[in-house]
Amino acid sequence: MRTVYLDNNATTAVAPEVVEAIEAYFTAEYFNPSSAYDRAAPAAQAIKRARDTVARFLGGVDPSEILFTSCATESVNTALYGAVRANPARRHIVTTAVEHPAVYEVCKDLARSGLDVTFLPVDRAGNLDLRTFIQALRPDTLIAAVMHANNETGAIFPVEQLARITKETDPAILFLTDATQTAGKLPLDLRGAMRHVDLLAFSGHKLHAPKGVGALFARRGTAMRPFMLGGHQEGGRRAGTENVPYIAGLARAVELAQEDHDAVEARIRRLRDRLEAGLLACIPCVEVNSQGAPRIPNTCNLSVHFIEGEGILYQLNEHGICASSGSACTSGSLEPSHVLRAMQVPFTALHGSVRLSLGRYNTDQDVDRALEVFPRIVANLRRLSPYWDQAHERPRPEAEAMMRQSGK
Amino acid sequence: MAWEYSEKTKQIFMDAVHGKPGTHMGEIEQPDGIGEHGSIACGDALRFTFRVRRHPTDPLQDVITEARYLTFGCTSAIASSEALCTLIEQGAFTPIGALGVTNRDIVEYLGGLPDQKIHCSVMGAEALEAAVFNWAQKRGVDLLALGIDMHTEEKEEGRLVCQCFGLTEPYLKRKIRELGLKTITEITGAIKAGGACMSCHHKPGGLQDLLNEVWGPQPLTLKLLPGPPEPREAAGTDRSVPSPYQFSKQVEKVLDQYVRPMLARDGGGVEIVDIKDTAVYCRLIGACAGCGGAGMTMKLMVERTLKEMVDDRIRIITV
Repeated sequence: MRTVYLDNNATTAVAPEVVEAIEAYFTAEYFNPSSAYDRAAPAAQAIKRARDTVARFLGGVDPSEILFTSCATESVNTALYGAVRANPARRHIVTTAVEHPAVYEVCKDLARSGLDVTFLPVDRAGNLDLRTFIQALRPDTLIAAVMHANNETGAIFPVEQLARITKETDPAILFLTDATQTAGKLPLDLRGAMRHVDLLAFSGHKLHAPKGVGALFARRGTAMRPFMLGGHQEGGRRAGTENVPYIAGLARAVELAQEDHDAVEARIRRLRDRLEAGLLACIPCVEVNSQGAPRIPNTCNLSVHFIEGEGILYQLNEHGICASSGSACTSGSLEPSHVLRAMQVPFTALHGSVRLSLGRYNTDQDVDRALEVFPRIVANLRRLSPYWDQAHERPRPEAEAMMRQSGK
Repeated sequence: MAWEYSEKTKQIFMDAVHGKPGTHMGEIEQPDGIGEHGSIACGDALRFTFRVRRHPTDPLQDVITEARYLTFGCTSAIASSEALCTLIEQGAFTPIGALGVTNRDIVEYLGGLPDQKIHCSVMGAEALEAAVFNWAQKRGVDLLALGIDMHTEEKEEGRLVCQCFGLTEPYLKRKIRELGLKTITEITGAIKAGGACMSCHHKPGGLQDLLNEVWGPQPLTLKLLPGPPEPREAAGTDRSVPSPYQFSKQVEKVLDQYVRPMLARDGGGVEIVDIKDTAVYCRLIGACAGCGGAGMTMKLMVERTLKEMVDDRIRIITV
């Protein structure tokens, strides 16, 4: 059975070009880039080249402003804990209620250790309110951490504008953005529109590099204590022998993302839009989360009323289709996605969310397959649901009342 | 996360969703017993109905001939419902006899369930109990006189321990005893209590205290950190800024008198989004909004005017 991979927000296939670019550093060029002898020079040069490439990718920043890490989660941990420890006088953090756990959980941990954290609410479409953001900034605010695009819904926050407002309010407030879902998709121009952003994190494996490599942009002059100690690497800001092959792979991946960006994006957007429109057209009582917000072009997060997401995923799996869900039963916790709850998705649809996220290797055939299978799966589960009248393809009257009420 | 379901659970689930012959999806019309458990807000819900062959004189000799379910829930919730109906039909039980079918029987029938999915089997057993209670009411059987206590009152009464799933102290204590639950993790796996906000784990009168009451104090091997604080919504009125009502009035007055009339000539205007100390957050509207000279307008006209007329510390921040 052919695999239809619609979970590109979770990870992506490593591009063949990337595999090719990194191979030598597993074999002939295995040396430690910190070593003094000539044989280690190619490894050291690979890191330097990669740093230059990533610096160009981020709008031509200075290469010394790039730190290589093991993943975006490490980048975010480095930025948040590092900033907190370097700025003991400021004890307040502004973030949003819909951040990825890499930010959300660190902020909750910092709150437990005595910092004051403001989690900004979002509206029904997943948008932030500018006024609420402005009001949250305080004289003792240390950092504002706002993701670029949401990993579950794809909703884009105007971080360029938020960073500017933050800096104009108080230049000492740091601005961190988690760009894991936008690197390679949206422009990250840290010398242009994003020039007010101090810290930006992303990982390689969301843009066809291997898992296990990430980067942190830290603008020169940003006060930050190192998160990992034990070596002089990365200018003493991130100890540990560099992962030479993966760093080389990350660089190749960002090049690749730029090379044919517009054509790839146009194709992904067209596939996503076709998939979304197709599903909306043939499944009743389904909504697209964050449809009313600017979104990255690859993500479609659906909430299907009156059924549970895990049962959908399980059946998709039986058809070789890979997707993910924000339902409680797939999360390991008993609570559905904090993102959808923050958006006040009606409880009749909260457990029935499915995220379909496309990538550069998806085809029209993949979309056809999903359109063929998905509606049947929904019908299968609705037939079993105590809230659904499958004969008439509509919710039972009491369930419909519930849906209307919870949607308010 | 790969699925940790037994082959049998997967098979039963797939048969159920495809409506294979011999599966039990559905709802019996005018059933002899109906029981429900769970809710859509909690993430799973089951409506269980059965029909009996009525004994002409003695309701206690009624025999269950048909059992059906409708379930909102995950793979294991649906498989558990299917298992429940199969077990009940195969046993040809009297309704009272059916009470002997427990969640453990369901788990066993499914070839095991992952720990965190045990609650799916408990949901089946609870719906069965509720349906038998309903049958007893319809048939005029006095369960209490038979020595069967359905504990119907305890869910409504008693102190609420788990707010998220609405579970009370008497219910929790009974389930801890009945199901032999020894840790908070086991409680959450079996009946979901403590599985959402987790604030009831270690607070006074919380789940650990109930475990200690039922089983005696346990040696503490791992002390969990206190639960994370609930995300706090940013307050509409920020306490850190002493709202300078007069100041904002003055700003508005100056804008009205001097700035807005000038902008209006070009078909535009300016709107205050917020004022914080001496920082005035505003945006140009109308024709001014898209104008290439918007930045200059803000700086030269709006900011300068406000500096002169209100306070020279004023800064304009464009939103």
